[in-house]
Amino acid sequence: MMELQKKIELSKHEHKPLQVNPIKHSQPMGAALAFMGIKNCLPLMHASQGCASYTKVFFTRHFNEPIAMYNTSVGDITAILDGGDYSILMSIENITKKNTTLKPELIGLHTTGLTETKGDDVRSVGVHIEIPYCYVNTPDFEGGMESGWALTCKALIKQHTLTCSEIKPSKLLLLPHVSMQPAEVEKIKEFCEGFGFETLALPDLSTSLDGYLSEGQGKLGTGAIGIDDIKALGDCETVISIGTSMKIAAEALLEKNDKITHLHFNHLMGLEMNDNFVASLMKIRQIEPRPMMKRWRGRLQDAMLDSHFLIGSSNFVITGEPDMCVGMCELLQSVGGTIEAVIATTYSPILKDIKATNVFVGDLEDAEIHFKNADLVISNFHAERLLHLQEKHTGLVLRGFPNYEELGNQLKNDQLYEGSTYFLFEVANKLREVKHHE
Amino acid sequence: MVNRAKIKELMNESACSHNKDKKKGEGCDKPKPGMAAGGCAFDGAQISLFPYADAVHLVHGPQTCLGASWETRETKTSYAGRDHTVMGFTTGITTNDVIFGGDKRLADSIDYIMEHYKPEAIFVYSTCVTALVGDDIDMTCSIASTKHGIPVVPVHAPGFVGGKNLGSRLAGEAVLENLIGTKEPEFTTPYDINLIGDYNVTGDMWQYLPIFEKIGIRVLSSMSGDGRVGDIRCAHRAKLNVIVCAKSLITLCRKMQENYGIPWVSVSFYGKRDTTFAIMEIVKALGDEALIKKAEAVIAEEEAKLENALKEYKELFAGKKAVLNTGGNKAWSIASGLQDLGIEVVATSIRKSTEDDIAKAREYLGENGLLMKAPASEQAKAIDERGAHILLAGGRSLYTAIKKKISFIDVNQEKKVSYGGYNGLLNLAQDLKHAFNNPVFANVSKKAPWEV
Repeated sequence: MMELQKKIELSKHEHKPLQVNPIKHSQPMGAALAFMGIKNCLPLMHASQGCASYTKVFFTRHFNEPIAMYNTSVGDITAILDGGDYSILMSIENITKKNTTLKPELIGLHTTGLTETKGDDVRSVGVHIEIPYCYVNTPDFEGGMESGWALTCKALIKQHTLTCSEIKPSKLLLLPHVSMQPAEVEKIKEFCEGFGFETLALPDLSTSLDGYLSEGQGKLGTGAIGIDDIKALGDCETVISIGTSMKIAAEALLEKNDKITHLHFNHLMGLEMNDNFVASLMKIRQIEPRPMMKRWRGRLQDAMLDSHFLIGSSNFVITGEPDMCVGMCELLQSVGGTIEAVIATTYSPILKDIKATNVFVGDLEDAEIHFKNADLVISNFHAERLLHLQEKHTGLVLRGFPNYEELGNQLKNDQLYEGSTYFLFEVANKLREVKHHE
Repeated sequence: MVNRAKIKELMNESACSHNKDKKKGEGCDKPKPGMAAGGCAFDGAQISLFPYADAVHLVHGPQTCLGASWETRETKTSYAGRDHTVMGFTTGITTNDVIFGGDKRLADSIDYIMEHYKPEAIFVYSTCVTALVGDDIDMTCSIASTKHGIPVVPVHAPGFVGGKNLGSRLAGEAVLENLIGTKEPEFTTPYDINLIGDYNVTGDMWQYLPIFEKIGIRVLSSMSGDGRVGDIRCAHRAKLNVIVCAKSLITLCRKMQENYGIPWVSVSFYGKRDTTFAIMEIVKALGDEALIKKAEAVIAEEEAKLENALKEYKELFAGKKAVLNTGGNKAWSIASGLQDLGIEVVATSIRKSTEDDIAKAREYLGENGLLMKAPASEQAKAIDERGAHILLAGGRSLYTAIKKKISFIDVNQEKKVSYGGYNGLLNLAQDLKHAFNNPVFANVSKKAPWEV
């Protein structure tokens, strides 16, 4: 029955009235995660209590960490009578009064479907708040996690970065897309620092959800970038957006200072894209890469050759956020892998650039049809049970949100020469297990 | 539709202990802005109904409601067909539906589900947004039910009406109004019961159902662990409602008593004493002398078997002391289990407990037991002063255990095995044994070279 279904085209419009086994995650969740990547930020979800509770549990299980997450607990009365002011101001008062040691340096407020439907003016509430305040409109009936994260970055820059006409040579801002795990942000920062850049990332989860034992976790965001850093971003020499979703944040920064150079990379996976990346950094800094960078390039070349036989004879199905999918496809295709299908969470123009027969926005019900043609599936936690249901033995590499069961998600690294190398080996080894069974 | 009168009625449940001498912060209160940590009404409704594996659960709302919540609970089922409890169905409404209404999308979604999955029933959950824009879910469900010939049950528990507890009550209302009493069972016995409020998480029910079978108690229907929609429709023919560890569904039980004359008992299957007590409560309520005799014999046999199996653990745990920091009824139910294993519980948290729970905790811990109102700040001191060997708490307290160099169990983490019934105690014992024996806590707490 399923086989007879016609090919699903890439479109902004849905191809069916519902989602069955969804992979899409909501905008508010992306916004919440972004605020967790800011130092001493109090992420405040303007919603009924369930939205925040679900989000908290979701990230707690993915990162295996206590999660800083608060909500305004909109009730039936406030849903109708309040314009947002009461619940937002009362929340901040209640939270800071209850815990006097809590010293938030930023209130990160974002909306949800409920508060957007009732139409709260979250912008004007800000005048009553003494702590620096950032608001972002993220209804969960629009966009997805990737856009929620990007909109939050844009809002932070737009509302807090001061306009500037000077630039500070060698100051660099990285704008990583939502699918990058804490270790990946850290690796890219280090890589840029290796070229002599003073490097900041927005948001910066590298010190937030990186799985680090310390006291008093999960109360405020502990990202490596603070509100003062954000204010002073206007003098960056260069801004690098990674992932198409992040272009809007880079553009917001350029409005603060038109002397800033904007470099964009769709992803940082595979040899070609990383060569472009390194060439750009070399050009700006006029220096050679460090010996270890060169060494890793050689290792990636070797890994490509080592893995090409297994990957080159295999079919893949990939599901996830668009910015993540596009990088994985290019890396796998660079060693001869065949992409059977890409099922994306939400629409993004970058999906058009993926060279595969089936690229569309959908859910795991749609993906399941393609599973039987795949040797390996790259998807989230939910794919595991579905793959167990089918007779054919298909491998699974878990990537994207959520990954409830595996440990160490925060330290997975698929970026740059180094991460790409490990990724290829992981995929190839998984394929070996599968093909061994046949 | 849900209205204020209904919410008020449910919040003021006469059979619920929260409402006697109700104090601030107890069970049924409205969430305070910024302070609410738990789930919403929709969450509660979902928890109460999702275990029906033969029904499809369709969430009519935007992305967060289902996207972040499906396949998160280990509610086991023996249903032979496709298990819908581990699947997610949502209309995932978009801006267009917010403006023009989502009824058409909902109707189309139901048709789609009938075409592709053919479930025994469909539960349709309203959420904040679809309740606020005023989708006529009742009408859509009613038309769909007639069209497809199966129950299509609207569940009106949008998140903003309150917390999880209220949501469970609203789910109970939906079942009572739409399902119970709509079908007759093939046969009945004098020992038919309904199990209410056990969701069979990690197979909890399967720990005690074999014992029921031995005694001769028959489970006519379940709300909703390993339940079937067909069975709950016959629930009005049961002789007794057994409510398991869930205050939220008391309203359902009270109404079933009023409408169908079914009495109810409230029990817990956590630990040896509670399990024995629960079984005796049930057979006494069914009031058959032979059944009581049979139960006594089965209990004696089971307890002896358990004691035998526990012997090695009890030796191992002799003299061990525990501090417990968890919410609600877990404050005493886990304490009871620990005591059954010979572990002294020196302190427990009563931060989120009701008056009843506090009284119970006092009863279990005795005069000298410490009841902590602010466990976050009290537990470290309690560990020192009382010489505790293990801390059972949520993940946030892990650091306290490491600092105090004692063992730790995360009681809030999703369990993989059941702690219910007699045999569940063995699972708990095994987990405790591993925690006590594991050198990781001592190893992690060692000072770094630069700290010495």
